[in-house]
Parts: sequence; structure tokens; C-alpha cells
Amino acid sequence: MKKLALLTALALASAASAQSLSGTVTVWSWDAAAKALESTIPSFNKKYPNVKVNVVDLGNQNVYDRGLAGCAAGGADMPDVYSIENNEAEVFWARFPNCFTDLNTLGADKLAKNFPAFKWTELMAGNKRFAMPWDSGPVVIFYRRDLYQQAGVNANAIKTWDDFIAAGKKVNAKFDGKVKMGVVANGQDDEWFRMLANQNNCFYFDNAGTSVTVNKTGCVDALTTIKKLYDAQVVATGDWGGQITSFKAGRSASAMFGAWYEGTIRTNAPDQKGKWGVYPMPANKAGGVRAANLGGSALALPSSSKNKAAAYAFMENALATTNGQVTMLKSQGLVPSLLSATKDSYVKVAQPYWGNQKVWQTILDTLGDVPQARGTQYFQDARQVMIVVQADYIKGKYKTAKEALDDAAKKISSATGLPVAK
Amino acid sequence: MTTVPQPPARPHPVRKAGWWARTPKAPYLFILPYLIIFLTFWAWPILSSFMMSFKDSRLGDTAPFGLANWSRLVQDEFFRTALRNTLVILVIQVPLMLSLATVLAVALNSKLLKAAGWFRFAFFAPLVVGTVAYSAVFRLLFNTDFGMVNRGLTGLGLPAVDWLNQSGPAMTVLILAMTWRWTGYNAIILLAGLQGISEDVYEAASIDGATPWQQFWKITLPLLRPSLLFCLVLSVIGTLQLFTEPALITNSGPGNSTMTLGTYLYQQGFRSFNFGYASAIAYTVAAIAAIFSVVQLRLFGRDE
Repeated sequence: MKKLALLTALALASAASAQSLSGTVTVWSWDAAAKALESTIPSFNKKYPNVKVNVVDLGNQNVYDRGLAGCAAGGADMPDVYSIENNEAEVFWARFPNCFTDLNTLGADKLAKNFPAFKWTELMAGNKRFAMPWDSGPVVIFYRRDLYQQAGVNANAIKTWDDFIAAGKKVNAKFDGKVKMGVVANGQDDEWFRMLANQNNCFYFDNAGTSVTVNKTGCVDALTTIKKLYDAQVVATGDWGGQITSFKAGRSASAMFGAWYEGTIRTNAPDQKGKWGVYPMPANKAGGVRAANLGGSALALPSSSKNKAAAYAFMENALATTNGQVTMLKSQGLVPSLLSATKDSYVKVAQPYWGNQKVWQTILDTLGDVPQARGTQYFQDARQVMIVVQADYIKGKYKTAKEALDDAAKKISSATGLPVAK
Repeated sequence: MTTVPQPPARPHPVRKAGWWARTPKAPYLFILPYLIIFLTFWAWPILSSFMMSFKDSRLGDTAPFGLANWSRLVQDEFFRTALRNTLVILVIQVPLMLSLATVLAVALNSKLLKAAGWFRFAFFAPLVVGTVAYSAVFRLLFNTDFGMVNRGLTGLGLPAVDWLNQSGPAMTVLILAMTWRWTGYNAIILLAGLQGISEDVYEAASIDGATPWQQFWKITLPLLRPSLLFCLVLSVIGTLQLFTEPALITNSGPGNSTMTLGTYLYQQGFRSFNFGYASAIAYTVAAIAAIFSVVQLRLFGRDE
């Protein structure tokens, strides 16, 4: 009886505070992620009818650039809720420890156990929790069933990167080289390298963030594979926009990205419904790991926000409730990092766009195999070096991948001051 | 009522009034608002960024002074690449653009030209177009699969070029874009210079039997030198600070093959958030620009 009274009191109290929250919450985000956040507004407004949420889609790079500039200017012009990629997050906590609110002061410590522990690594500095985990980016291959079939390729038989290249040769032969197995942003981004390196349990830095490990075996194998893909002419080159143009025009037989790309394909090419499917990324060697992570983001709350309670309530509804996370999975294909949401019944539903494949099951099944990798505060320094070294290696400037990555390690080390790992 | 005894009158001062008293105050009061703005928004940031270049700003405000940034700059291969790319643009694009601008200015100055005002506007127009819009258009024109340029090339039976994903072609696109944007601007400055040349000189020359070709080389060009020098110095400084085109059209890529000093500085300052290092780069660029300007004035500005 006592318990019931207490519960009622609590419910009343929270209902009362829900009514009292008001004002506007401005959210900065990008592309599919922004649309996903928008899709959670109706459920949020059911609980907090007096808060107006305004999601601004600035584009990914702009959010980062303007966020750093805003923090440097002491929090000027910052939104109430700020989207941040896990890999890029630590530079903010390191350079501007006062720019964001410690979410523990708003009750985030109570939610900590609802997310996998690794998602918090890059979002914390000391005991402070500066952002709440949002989605993760388990990497898979998205492929056109019809194009594979016409070329005589069986997606289930592609188990290693060598299989993938062999399949690409068949696709080249069938379509006269006009359709490629993938589009790599070589020269613009090094995301293929990061995905393959992560798969091989290698990254720019070690997981303590204290030394440069980009010339270790796993990374060398990753870069070697990318070179092989180019030498076999099974991939084309193009940036983010070019990749979308390419699959819309039916010139990509497949694409590799974090699972959040699901929404990008589905919303950009609605006419290709039923033609697409998903399979796990090929392994470096037969029997090897077929999982990696690319991207995955979080939401932070700038200290300059004038409406922290409402901003936190919005974050909590979108990220820390099963309903919020599943809404974003349905609308834009953002893979939940909230543990309860990964077990939701929606995950087991066959998806008509994907030829009635249970794609979320396929995607989430890889999550447990993803090796950990840490961006550190020097992520951008390392990335800028790696973009160039990858492009130079593809161009033939280095003899071997090892030579290229030794040079990359040297450059990253001199840019960051971190030693190259022995 | 007693009178206060007056001190004996001081002898008339032999010394002139002090510097403070002699200086008229009014002019300084008038320029004071400008001085305050200058000191706050120009002098202070310039000084402060110079001091910042001696700090590893990644360590926070309390970082000790040191030479870390400068010693990194000396060894930094990416900085050398940015410098090399900038110089390549300087050596190819600036002479190309200025020659075109000179030809254009002479044509625009011709009495045979009808609707001269309209043409002048047309060639100046690229400068009025927003940089983001013009960059987007160039990206579309040079798109590998769907761009008009490649359509044209394949239409003529020539092979298509992967413009933005290869080093040489990407640099070509950059140079073409800059030339498109800035030639008209320089032509207008040169045109003003041309109109300053007296008709009498040409008249005398034609009476003496000089061909138009001789007139161009012997009269127009020498008398146009001050204007050309002005355009040259401005273009060189502009190229050393080049940012918009490589940032928006090629994104410094592929790799860093179109990375300029300007985009490298931006990358260090606003992507890696290393203001100290970015300041060191900025000061180096300023020094290079100063050296270039002095050299040009010495070489081409002799009798001025």
C-alpha cells in the first residue's frame, strides 16, 4: 500500500513537471539522423505538450565545425541539443571541458547500465558523462539482388574479400564495367580503411589512446585489400553525394557502410524497393571476423542552453526509451544502442524494401563481434593523414601497404605528439 | 580683510611648452574611434595569434610557451605540399589570368566594340555570383558521370576524364574556375588603366607609321605597367590566401593534391582545433606574401 502511494506520488510529480516544462528546444543534426530525431517529436510532445522542438539539419561536417567554433567562443550560438559522432567526441571534452553539461547532474548515471559499456568510453571524461549514446554503426554490405543475380553472383557465397573481388569481376564482365561492386571515397575520406581496419582489430590509436598503431598487421591487411579492390577495378571513386547518385542511377551493385546507410538507400531510391538485400561484410581470411563499426553518434547538451531540463527530457525520450529508439530505427534505420531496443520485436520483422529479408536481425547479429576502437581527441589529425596516405598508396606512391602505413604512423605521431607503438 | 601675499611672479618660462601642451588634441580625438577599433579588432588579434603560435594550444590555456609549433612546421610534409600546390597555382594561374585580362581589357577598350557597357558588366558578373553557387556549378559541370564537360568530350570522341578524383585534372578544374571568376575583375582594373593613356600618344605613333601590334607592345604595355603591377600584387596575395575554391570545389582532394596554404590552415585550426599551429602557418603565409610583394615592387616597379 505504501509502495503504491509512493508510486502514485512519483507519477504525479513527474506529470506535474512534464506540464511545467515549456519553451523551445533547438537540435542540431544531419541528414538521416536529423530526420530520425524529428520522428520522435510526436511521442515527446505527448509527454511534454508545451515544449516546441526545432530540429535543424546542418549537414554532418557543419555541425562539427560550428560546434567547435561555438565552444571556442564560450558557447555562443550553440543549440540546446548537439549531435556528435562518437569518434569525434573526445576533442570536445579535451579542449572545452566547460562547453557541455555533465549529464550525471541531470540523472544520466541512472541510465548508464541501459547501454553497452563500450558506448560510453568516448563520451566520458573522468567521471563526467558529456553525451548520451544514440545509435551504432555495425557495418554490412547492402547489395542489389537483381544485379548480383544477372551477373551470376551468389551473395551468400561471398565470405572473404577475395570472394568479393571475384564476384566483382563477374559483375564487370556482365555489365561491361558500368556497374561496380562499390564506390570508395578515396581521396575524400578513409572510411573504407577504417571499416576494414576495425574488422581486423586495428585502428589509428590503441584503445588507451596513448600510442599510434596504424602500421600494425590488421591495418596493413586492410589497406592491402583496398588496393586489391582498385587493381581489380571492381570499385569506383566518389564522395558521399557521388555514391548516392551512383546507386540511384543503378551503377552500384553494392555499398558498404554502417547500418545507418539503410535509411539513406531506402529514402533516396524508393523505386528500387524489393531489389536490395543485406549480407555481413566479407572477412579478411576465411573464418575471420565479419563485423566492424562505422560511426555511431550521441547527443550532448551545451552548457549555454537556457532550457536544460526540456533538452534533457527530449534526449531521454529519443535515446533512452525503447519506443524512441525503435521509432528512429523504423523511420531512418538508425541502429539502437539502447540494449532493450535491440531486443524489440520489430527487429524480427521482414522488411519489404529489402526483399522481405529480416535485415535488422542480420545487422544486429554482428554487433557482438565488433572489435573496439577509440577515436581519441586526435581523430581528425589522424584521419586527415590517412585520407592522403590511402590516396597516395592507391596512386602507386608507396611500394607496399606496410611502407605506406609506416609513413602514416610517422606523420600521425608528429601531428599528435603520441609515440608510434612498438 | 587681509590680502594673501602673492608669491613673487615667476620669471617667464624660457623652456618651450611641453610636448603634451604643444600637440593639438582635436585630430587625435577625431581618429580615436578608429584607433580603438583598430587596436581591439586588428592589432590585438594579430599580436595574440603571434603569441598563440608559440603555444601548444591543444593543452589548454595554461600551455607553456615553446617552439613546438614552429619545429613541427619546419618538418611538416603536408605544409610543404600545401606550399607547393599554392606555388603551382601561382605560377600557372596568375600569368594565364593576367594575360587574358590584358587582352580582354584591350578588346573592351576598342572603339569598334558596340554595347561596351554591357560587355564590361558581363565579364565582371562572375564576381557577383555567390562563391558557394559557382563552386556547386563547377562541381556539376566537371562531374565524371553526368557532367556537361565529359558529355562534350565524349561527344567529340575524346575519352572522359575523372576530373575531381585525380590530382592533375582536379588542379586543372581549380585553375579554370579561378580564371573564370577573376579574369573579368582584373580586366576592369586594366581597362581603367588603359583609359588613363592619352589618345595623343597613339595618334603620334600612327602618324609615325607604327602598326597596331607595335603600338600594343611599345605603348600600351609599358604605360599599363602600374595597373598590371597592382593586379599582380593583388593576385599573388589572393592566391597565397586561396581558400574558397579548393575548399568548395575539390575539398583539397583527392588526397591533399589541391590543398592550399589556406585550406591547410583551416584544417589545422577548425578541424583539428589546433589554433597554435594554425597561427604559425598564418604567420608563415603572411611572411611569404610580404616577401613576394617586395620582390615584385623591386622587379617591376622601378621608375615609379
